[in-house]
Amino acid sequence: MGRFALTAFVIAFFIFMLAPILVVVVVSFTSAGYASFPIPGWSLRWFVRIWEYPPFINAMITSTVVAVLATVLSCLISIPGALYLARARAGWANVVATFLLSPLSMPMIVIGFSSLFFLTAVGIGISMTALVITHTVVCMPYVLRTVIAVYRSVPPPYEEAAAILGANPLRTFIEVTLPLIRPGIAAGSLFSFLTSFDNLPVSFFFASAQTSTLPVVMLSYIENQFDPSIAALSTLQLALALVCLILADRLYGIKKMTVAA
Amino acid sequence: MTGLNRRRFLQTGTAGAGLMLAGSPGLLRAQAGQVLNVTAYGGVWETAVRECFVAPFETKTGARATVSLGAPAQWLAQVEASPQSPPLDVLIMSPDLAIVAAQSGLMQDLTVNRIPNLAKIPQEFTDACLGKGTYLDYGVAGITYNKDMVPNPPRSIAEFVDRVSAGEFVASVPSISYAITPIMLIWTMAEALGGGVDNVDPFFEAMERMRDNLVFWGGPNDFFNHLASGEADLGIYFDGRTWNHYDEGATWIDFINPEEGGALTAVAVQIPNNANPLAFDYMNEMLDAENQARFAEIMNYAVTNVDVVYSEKLQARVTPWQQTAFPPYEAIGAARNEWVDRWNREIGM
Amino acid sequence: MSLAPSSAPARMPGWLLILPALLFLVAFFVLPLIDNSLRSFEVGGEFSLGRYIQLLTDTFYLGVIVETVVLSTAVTVICALIGYPVAYYLVRHAGRWSGLIVFLLIAPLLTSIIMRTYGWQVLFARRGLVNTLLVQDLGILERPLQLLNTPGIAIAALVHVLVPFMVLSIATVLQGIDQRLEEGAQMLGASRWRTFLEVTLPLSADGIGTGAILVFMIANGSFVTLVLLGGGFQTLPLFIYQQFTTTRDFGMASTMSTILLVIAMTCLYLQLRLVRRAGV
Repeated sequence: MGRFALTAFVIAFFIFMLAPILVVVVVSFTSAGYASFPIPGWSLRWFVRIWEYPPFINAMITSTVVAVLATVLSCLISIPGALYLARARAGWANVVATFLLSPLSMPMIVIGFSSLFFLTAVGIGISMTALVITHTVVCMPYVLRTVIAVYRSVPPPYEEAAAILGANPLRTFIEVTLPLIRPGIAAGSLFSFLTSFDNLPVSFFFASAQTSTLPVVMLSYIENQFDPSIAALSTLQLALALVCLILADRLYGIKKMTVAA
Repeated sequence: MTGLNRRRFLQTGTAGAGLMLAGSPGLLRAQAGQVLNVTAYGGVWETAVRECFVAPFETKTGARATVSLGAPAQWLAQVEASPQSPPLDVLIMSPDLAIVAAQSGLMQDLTVNRIPNLAKIPQEFTDACLGKGTYLDYGVAGITYNKDMVPNPPRSIAEFVDRVSAGEFVASVPSISYAITPIMLIWTMAEALGGGVDNVDPFFEAMERMRDNLVFWGGPNDFFNHLASGEADLGIYFDGRTWNHYDEGATWIDFINPEEGGALTAVAVQIPNNANPLAFDYMNEMLDAENQARFAEIMNYAVTNVDVVYSEKLQARVTPWQQTAFPPYEAIGAARNEWVDRWNREIGM
Repeated sequence: MSLAPSSAPARMPGWLLILPALLFLVAFFVLPLIDNSLRSFEVGGEFSLGRYIQLLTDTFYLGVIVETVVLSTAVTVICALIGYPVAYYLVRHAGRWSGLIVFLLIAPLLTSIIMRTYGWQVLFARRGLVNTLLVQDLGILERPLQLLNTPGIAIAALVHVLVPFMVLSIATVLQGIDQRLEEGAQMLGASRWRTFLEVTLPLSADGIGTGAILVFMIANGSFVTLVLLGGGFQTLPLFIYQQFTTTRDFGMASTMSTILLVIAMTCLYLQLRLVRRAGV
């Protein structure tokens, strides 16, 4: 049966996706002093190590703040544009859309390096502001693209009907358009958050004692040691994401939240 | 160097971007005062820096020091972007970047006048930074091997090349994407096989012979993983890192400084122009014999002050720098791009 | 603020809506890049196209450019082929498990690249889990396979981190499709397979298009996976990375990134026109 083949394929797919991750999760519980597999014994010592090494915790907070701010900013500036571009028929709309997506294919190390010199020259320098701006540059295209895709599949009559029924444009937007494009915003925000949180090549150039993100601290950490605390950090991130997901499910019901709802 | 065009562009660009920026908070470090911004690698390195250098510095001067974690390429770029008010006061550098920084006129001269302990550092180390920096610690890039797989390791680079070519082992060597590969691999091997800075043919011939039994590591931890997972049996790696892995429990690992001498790989320290003057006091602490001795014990690396006395355990591991191959960094820097291009075409990635 | 230009009463021109995004990118993406690209036109303090001519007339670098586009295209196609069934399953059959599936899908993106690479090494090294299983436990092979540092594993690792973008892009559009259209087709006698080919697939074209654009663009600019896992590919992002780490030739890095940007934007523009043509 087709259904059976599909299920089998999906299972195989997730084995491929999760096998390397599973190795990492197991290694994070090792009792050994270095990353080895299979592990000689189980222990939580590397989670304790994270807790005891302040830069990890500080950087995790910095990364989260930057990722949230960059995602919110991305949504604010790109959703209006996406709504217009999704319906625009003019030929130049393609050109604009191409341009707005172009940060995706520029190696981030180039964006980071160029921005460091530029933002320093205009007085923003190495700061939280600079981190949020540069992260927004690389995150914005995701939101833009996913919202365009979803909004294009929304039939215009919905909004026209609301307008005919006397709703003002703002109410039409909040009560009709927004719920319709929510899956696009959710997917774009998710991409944006993950891209920002995991970003090394841009953050690298803006790191200081006050603005170090987690990937920068990890890179610097492994310069001289490769202990399983890096694996433990990954496991911790997975666990936090899972907790957020379960909370969202309890509070709102996953159907409304996930991109596939 | 990047000239007038870019500067002029930046000024005109500033006007436009300024509109967008109205209201955004300005420079974070407007509060210079008595805070010194120093640098360190993360983890044990940082802990050692705080304990051995920052603590005595703060006690003696009453000033405060913040530690920025990261990597030399990042710090140098940050200083290049803002030479008038560098965001960092003391830099940790790789020897080749130290030369670049010194040559581009971004760093200050170090003198015994301002840093008394500099007198205790071999002159060669300060000379290697063109007088605008010196070395804090050093290691050797040699042959690291898995004792279980290689009971009788090669003693020299020539032997290493012969036995890998013969298919006796699979070797893991640094890839060309790794910053100091031109020094620790290309130059070292060319020199050991009868060539040198002017003639790297012996290196490329050796790589051609070893071709089928080589894998490349992109970052140092990759190398350790290659050995631990059995992807490779031995390779070119650093002594200090080998000892760290050993002490963390990987007791199957060992290191040999090849007979021809492995490349000296040092950590340089520099002070940018316009840095907080307290940077000199901090560097004096970094070069102090007692502080360095404690640093060495934590880090498993040899340090540079000639008065330092090591513990027995570390003494056995430390290679005196005179027995290493001291790379001619300046000459390598001049030839490097040509080597890299040749590697790209002949060896690939 | 009418959003559909076709029905816009003339209160406020709709194109004003793209200004925030446009201005932001001009200020913080274009200006820094132009500033940086001035390095590429400067040789010894004078304006010169020397670096561009040098790169674009060298068959070696032309080969690199081709390899970059071919690799990104291959990864995009593989992601689409693998990702579509998964997205379909996620939307149509996962039900209450859809949240968990989304989590599993993004798990690789939540795991630091350093550790992900480690995972691949443990699995596929010469004495890694897969080879041990094949050689010692099952006895299928005489000697271990060379799996790491091969093109195959590099492509697999790229697909691993990029396929979530494809799956979620497709799923986002797929879930908006009115299932009554499919039911209608089937009631009219179309087979399931034909319904899929002629109704579902065309309707989800925009999702595939979005996924393809994201995957292609990111693949075009990515280098970390290739640096850490090897595989022998020589792509422009790798060379750009090399200019930063090994040779510190920022002029060359800038030249290469300008060329890369032009290529990527050309591909993207063609792709966008194609997506438009395909309807929706």
